[in-house]
Amino acid sequence: MAARAGTASPRGRPSASPARRRLKPLRTVVAWRGRAEWDQVMVGLYCGDSRLQQGALDRVSAWKSRYGSKMPLAVDCTAELIRCKVLDSSGRLKSHELILSYGLALVRFVNLITERKQKTVRLPLRQLAREVGIPVWVVDLRHELTHGKLPRLALCRKGCDVVLDWLRKMYWNRQLGNNLCEKDEDEKQEQEEVEANAELNSDAWVIQTPQHAACQKHKEFHEKVRDVLISYKNEQFRVMETVSKSRELWFDSSSEVDWILAQIKDLMQENRVAVAEALLSDGFLIPKMDCLKMLNIKYEANKEVWQFKIPPIFYCFWQPLLSGLLSRNFTQILIEKMFMELRECSDSSELRPQFLINWISELLTGIAKVNAGKKKQLCNKQESVKELFLHKVPLQWIRVTDSCLQAPCWATPHLLQMILTIMRPRLSRSSRKNLLYLASIYTEGGPPPLSSPGLSSDSSEQPIYTIESLQWRARQENQVKNQGQIVEKEENVPERDNGVEEVEEEEEEMVTETNPLEGLGHSGTMVAIAEKRAALQGSAWQITADEVRWKDFPLGKLPGQTDDPDGLMLDNYSMMSLLDQPVREEWKSLNTNSAELNIPVTGGLLWTQNDFYKIKSGLQLF
Amino acid sequence: RWRRAAPRTGRGGAGRGAAPGGGGGSAVMPARRSRPRRALARAPARASRTEAAWREFASSFTRTGMVPPAEPGLVAVEAAEACRTLRAPHRLTARSVLQALTFTGKCRLRCLYGAVRLLGFAVASHHPGLPVFSPATHCALSLEALPGARPPAADLRQLQRRPPLSAPRPWPHTHPALSSNFTPEDAVLASVGIVKCSPDNGLQVSESTCLALEELIQACCDEGIPVVLVCGPKNTGKSTFNRYLINLLLNHLPVVEYMECDIGQAEFTPPGCVSLSSVTEPVLGPPYTHQQMPHKVVYYGQTSCEQDTERYLDVVKYVFSCCKKEVPLVINTMGWVKGDGLLLLIDLIRLLSPSHIVQMDLCDWEAMPPLTPDHVHFSAGLHTKGKQQSKCKQLGLGDLESWKYPEGEDMSAPQHKLLYVNPEFPRAGAAVHSGILHDMSILGYLGHLQSPDIGAVLPLHCLVPYQVPFNAVALRVIHTDVAPSNIMYAVNASWVGLCCIPEEVRCQTDGPVLLTQTPICDCLGFGIVRGVDVEKKLYHILTPVPPENLRLVNCLLLGNIAIPECVLVGQQGIEGEIPYVTSDYNYSIVGSGKLRKNKQHLLKRKECDYA
Repeated sequence: MAARAGTASPRGRPSASPARRRLKPLRTVVAWRGRAEWDQVMVGLYCGDSRLQQGALDRVSAWKSRYGSKMPLAVDCTAELIRCKVLDSSGRLKSHELILSYGLALVRFVNLITERKQKTVRLPLRQLAREVGIPVWVVDLRHELTHGKLPRLALCRKGCDVVLDWLRKMYWNRQLGNNLCEKDEDEKQEQEEVEANAELNSDAWVIQTPQHAACQKHKEFHEKVRDVLISYKNEQFRVMETVSKSRELWFDSSSEVDWILAQIKDLMQENRVAVAEALLSDGFLIPKMDCLKMLNIKYEANKEVWQFKIPPIFYCFWQPLLSGLLSRNFTQILIEKMFMELRECSDSSELRPQFLINWISELLTGIAKVNAGKKKQLCNKQESVKELFLHKVPLQWIRVTDSCLQAPCWATPHLLQMILTIMRPRLSRSSRKNLLYLASIYTEGGPPPLSSPGLSSDSSEQPIYTIESLQWRARQENQVKNQGQIVEKEENVPERDNGVEEVEEEEEEMVTETNPLEGLGHSGTMVAIAEKRAALQGSAWQITADEVRWKDFPLGKLPGQTDDPDGLMLDNYSMMSLLDQPVREEWKSLNTNSAELNIPVTGGLLWTQNDFYKIKSGLQLF
Repeated sequence: RWRRAAPRTGRGGAGRGAAPGGGGGSAVMPARRSRPRRALARAPARASRTEAAWREFASSFTRTGMVPPAEPGLVAVEAAEACRTLRAPHRLTARSVLQALTFTGKCRLRCLYGAVRLLGFAVASHHPGLPVFSPATHCALSLEALPGARPPAADLRQLQRRPPLSAPRPWPHTHPALSSNFTPEDAVLASVGIVKCSPDNGLQVSESTCLALEELIQACCDEGIPVVLVCGPKNTGKSTFNRYLINLLLNHLPVVEYMECDIGQAEFTPPGCVSLSSVTEPVLGPPYTHQQMPHKVVYYGQTSCEQDTERYLDVVKYVFSCCKKEVPLVINTMGWVKGDGLLLLIDLIRLLSPSHIVQMDLCDWEAMPPLTPDHVHFSAGLHTKGKQQSKCKQLGLGDLESWKYPEGEDMSAPQHKLLYVNPEFPRAGAAVHSGILHDMSILGYLGHLQSPDIGAVLPLHCLVPYQVPFNAVALRVIHTDVAPSNIMYAVNASWVGLCCIPEEVRCQTDGPVLLTQTPICDCLGFGIVRGVDVEKKLYHILTPVPPENLRLVNCLLLGNIAIPECVLVGQQGIEGEIPYVTSDYNYSIVGSGKLRKNKQHLLKRKECDYA
């Protein structure tokens, strides 16, 4: 639900605490319709075929129009460089002209990319370039181009290739790749630096030393987390020994535990993923044998012996820590991480997958309890203390489902069943059933008893062979079930815990608010529509036929239209020139050399992007 | 049914500086509910006794000790909340015992007795309810009592018979950044949707402003038809000054012409337009609260004009040629007064030949030199030359003849009068990023799509669009070269100007018609291309333009102005992916951001100069 965020962003509301702001992934408007188009353009730009490249460049020109001044720098630079390559391969330009084209594209790339890194104290270009991993010789090339002798064409070509490679690695391959986009606008700046440094580390293209250093840093961080976790373990063991009555007393977490918790939270600020990794490394949430012995837990290889539960003592051992750590974000990360770890495990009868499965199950149970919104029963205080979650944790359930499906094992049907039950907004009944059925077939467990009825009726539809088609199917079903969902949401409203989820509640209100309107608006506007229709009689403008349920179609999409942008491409069109309008374009292209250079430019001799674009568009045929 | 009456006893002077008895207002609330009614019921119908009734009413507050006794000078205003939830049962009235009430919030205000002044405009009892908007992001409005002349006493019964104030137009979307703008807190005023704030937040009229305004009013009322050009750097309060000036002039004149040359922060239109409007109603709020289509609009298509100053000047020239010059004209200009911006301003002044130039500046002579007649006369503009240079030009570059501005007039150019103003406004638009103001104007304009009688807001994608065949309207992308094959892709879900070119759009085929040049033509309104049907060759367009004007539209101009993000992001009830919306785009990756104008350029250059 939170992912389906409405207009009401928590930004600017006085009540919204900084922590709350992070709850929603930042949704932004981009020029491309979706992921597929982005990939298509990237492939088009980087393929060697100049016809395809030209097609991709044309699309980028449309992006530029859609984006206005917000066009991402890297896309712009890539397009400019590719344009040079297309010109080069067309063979229509002589080498000197090509050098000029390449030169400007390269200069713009180096300047634009590094300028964003510029701080208040101006740093030398070389240093900035080194920070982002642009080879120094490219910076030197830029220097030659602007201040020195024009370099040879071969060098320009080489520079262009290297820079395009850099752009692909640093921008295209990373962008839209991961979902970690929860930064607030304001934080972007600071984050940028931190992450830009971090990014370098994982990139093989960068010079050796920083990479090594970063690796080292990561290792050190991991060690730090481990140290804190070990101190937690020791503390818990100490408590256990001193108070022989053992586990109930663990819940009154000592000040020592509080202190450890604070330390881990600090570390989490720095890197949540690493904390999750450390927790799941051997000896912590996944115990070693000796630890089990110390806690007097009998381990059996029989996989279902614990019935998806963590042994109580072990649960109590970790519960104080986990309930302190499990924020919404961290829960998401931890569960996904667990599934990832689960995928790595080959033999599901080992200790590790056992515990992973049981922990996931415990977490999901906890979430289910708290999300169901049952008021804590005061009489059963001890029970509530044991819970892992104190507040609701709206997760990105689709992603959880995905990761669950990516880690198939004997327990998948059970886990999937849990996820599908907790998940909000729910998938449709039939897609839930189908998913479960498929999962059980895949894991060779046969259909679980819960989901057998009604299967035959759905199986007549298209067969599902891959996860992708499954997801596609789920999405389709989702669309159909839109109405039912809203009703479900409404039912949930009274159960909500008022103080906790302000943001969500607001969304809820918006849904319920708009809902009754739909009917009303329809009937109320009918008269107005009829009037408009009458006023437009005989004109080319008409009111669109009213049988379309417009509210089901977002702006930019019509009934029957797919998300494929190729559907909007034009094959034939006619041009029309106007008689009494100034024909500025022609005038300019004839006189650019003489007239424009005569005007004293006060802002320096830097060419604006537009100038550059105009020059190039004069050279190129659409 | 609807209760009213808010006596406001004030001393009636210019209220600045007096410390108001703050809490007085809030204590009155319970009394107000019962007493006004009785007072009204007893009030005699005859004019002579009306005032006595009001006075009695006012003193009833004094007697109960809720209001300090005030000197004679009686004003009653009524304000009504516009909020949906409060509408029917709570039509309450606000009262104030302060000399000047500075407030934020929104309401509809009507003067019941006496007269008040609101941002220069004198509101008397014969005025219908005025929509008043005072968001926290802008200079707060102040309500001041006007002393002196008793207005012809209004018949109380007549007052009562007036229809209740209706709510201002519903808002299409809540902009995330401004959703907390109108948060009424103070108990009394809250019921009508406003919050009292310190008089310091209100408009501070400096001495130089006062002098300039007096001179301008004199010029308008006595001498003839002045053309007033207001210029100055960003955030010096040009728009606030304009609003104040227009409101003041409207006290004396039925209509004032206003020409908007600031394509970034247009007063009456969405951004990117040069326009000419006849203003007859006072301007009481920031631009996004009074979006309307002026009688002459040209869509420039961008919020700044550095990239194509020639087209900008052509556009200004075209709009200016439509001005009949029968009433005073106020011209607003851009805040771009550095470098080329100043040169462009000089071009503008040459082109428009104003009789008065109001130059606003914060005692910062570096920002721009005083635009004295001599300075304008002799210095070169961006596209025009100063007096001496113009001769050289005529000798030398004959081929540029076609591109000259009326230089012949330079010799006999009317000398303008320079009014130098040092404003003391709290910095006007500075609180909000300009991008947000653009979005707000567009949202304000899109608000006209909502039908007023429903009272609730429908999401844009639920509305029934218009459709028009490809070959009936010509299409042009301004400022960007888009490959023709991709033009429908660019136009889909975009903000377009709906324009009218004089030529007939002729086309043999049923395919789209693309223009080869950008026309300078009338813009009749704006719309969102809701979808493009390539099969049936239809554009589907959402627009508030009335059908009788829509018939005339035969050209779509696609500029560089985008639909506000919240319109696309906030589409409710859509299953599946919303086109063009993603949460996966990661801004922290190198090169993901936009081209930013780097102020450090200037910084460095300065440092170098000192070195």
